[in-house]
Amino acid sequence: MNIQLSEELISLFNDATAFKALATIDGESTPNVVTGRLFRISEEGNILYLEHLESSRTNHNLVGALWFERQVSIAVQGRRGENYQIKGRPVKVHITGTLFQKYYIESRAILGEVDLSGVWVIEPTEVIDESPLKRQAEEEQARPFFRHLDRFCKSDN
Amino acid sequence: MNVALKRVHERESTLSDVVSKYPDVPRLIILKIDVQRRGVHYTRRALDGLDPAVHQLRSAIWCSRDGIYTDTNVPESLLLRDGTSIVVESVSTDKEPYLVDLVDGRPALIDGDEVIEFVEFWEKPRYYDLVTSSGIPMKDVISARPQRLSILLSTVCHFGKNSCLYCEIHNNNKTKGRPVRPKLRMEDVSEVVREALREEGRFCTFCITGGSILKGQEVFDREVDLYIELLQAIGEHFGSRKFPSQLVASAYSEKQLRRLYDTTGLMSYTCDLEVLDPEKFRWICPGKAEAVGGYEVWKQRVIRAVDIFGRGNVSSGIVGGVELATPYGFTTEEEALEATLAEAESLARHGVPAFFVVWVPRPNSPFRDQKSPSLDYYVRLTRGLERIKAAYGITTDFDDYRRCGNHPDTDLSRIR
Repeated sequence: MNIQLSEELISLFNDATAFKALATIDGESTPNVVTGRLFRISEEGNILYLEHLESSRTNHNLVGALWFERQVSIAVQGRRGENYQIKGRPVKVHITGTLFQKYYIESRAILGEVDLSGVWVIEPTEVIDESPLKRQAEEEQARPFFRHLDRFCKSDN
Repeated sequence: MNVALKRVHERESTLSDVVSKYPDVPRLIILKIDVQRRGVHYTRRALDGLDPAVHQLRSAIWCSRDGIYTDTNVPESLLLRDGTSIVVESVSTDKEPYLVDLVDGRPALIDGDEVIEFVEFWEKPRYYDLVTSSGIPMKDVISARPQRLSILLSTVCHFGKNSCLYCEIHNNNKTKGRPVRPKLRMEDVSEVVREALREEGRFCTFCITGGSILKGQEVFDREVDLYIELLQAIGEHFGSRKFPSQLVASAYSEKQLRRLYDTTGLMSYTCDLEVLDPEKFRWICPGKAEAVGGYEVWKQRVIRAVDIFGRGNVSSGIVGGVELATPYGFTTEEEALEATLAEAESLARHGVPAFFVVWVPRPNSPFRDQKSPSLDYYVRLTRGLERIKAAYGITTDFDDYRRCGNHPDTDLSRIR
């Protein structure tokens, strides 16, 4: 089931300085991660990923994900420590048409002498707040056994 | 009765049967094949949903609806959400086609009561609204696919009465009252290319083809001359010596191929063997068989082209399924598949990939009353041809899902 992205996440995707990574797998579940790519958010709230290389492993994996209903994962990290993982399903790729041409022109304006293979539409299915302190607090609350004993000691022990 | 006429069509597997049977083949590609096989029928509502300002409609020159040539405008073709094109004909409802109707305001493929998949109509390029300085609508000079410019050099084929039996060019040209495109002028081509290239990100290749022209000192010399003239007119717009392009043409001699390669920006060459069996070729493509000395000569000419254009830049197309035409075709799908794949592998050994289009018996062709093979057959053909290409490490970048969109087997190459 797809979900709505928060305003904070949308801002992070639109922030050119935020770190973003896209992880995909191939048919043998071999992982592949790329960083430094362009993402946008569509009017419908989906993630748009701009793939510039037709022959890239990521592009092949995204085609495979759409064909065989595999998920992908996107990590986003902001300058103030925001840290999220979004899981999603590639549901469509624009390889032609108005939207494609818009991002073709925009990509070349930003990156220079590049081409555009497709504008991938990724429907978010899950958002996980991966901020380390928040994740630790959640784990200590929900799984209290997952700590070493020395962390329970009195401070003067 | 001839034994070959007894080929019985068993109860055909449905789309969902075949999708379940071949989990390694994407459902969208199987759907594409089935839609091409069965055709589509656009409901009135779907046609009312067309926006001529946005969507690419068939030109009166190329248009057919329900198997009858007409000037009724219908969508050029369809696009699936994975970027796969479905180049498909509109047919009458008695052929049990998929319906294209509007569902929640969006065009969708319908089978029975089931919504199978949402689709999109192709968007037209900007030049489609323009006219050349000589007064010809630009869309009648060069037609478009989602990312390709298509140029038909000649609508006449010199094979005439000896034309391929699945082809309707010869009969169409005899049909009175049918709109005919004016002779192609290089000035018009150049003007349309200039205009088309102004639209950034719209096109990534040219596909050039036409009927065979037998004239010349050596057979096909005149055809080669005309293609050179055309390619040079296109080449004026590029700063590089070569530009992404494909020529689908007759089987040229090495001398002709060399001339073509050396004097133009052409990057790839396709020469269609049409049916991968010498006997069937002689029956189905009599003009081709006679022109240069039979199947083996056509085959050797395609293979020799690799020496000039390079591996991965030469191919041969087949009309997938026509090998099962009656009365002289293969009598079983098993036999047809085995023979076709074996011959495709023999081409691949020399660096030539074979790829197919789905045979749809055309209403004005000698094979008009025949029936395409089963969906199951086409899926096995798709998978078999792609496996051969993969095994021999042959790419088909010049004729893939984006640069052509009419070959289910090269659609599969996207993940390779």
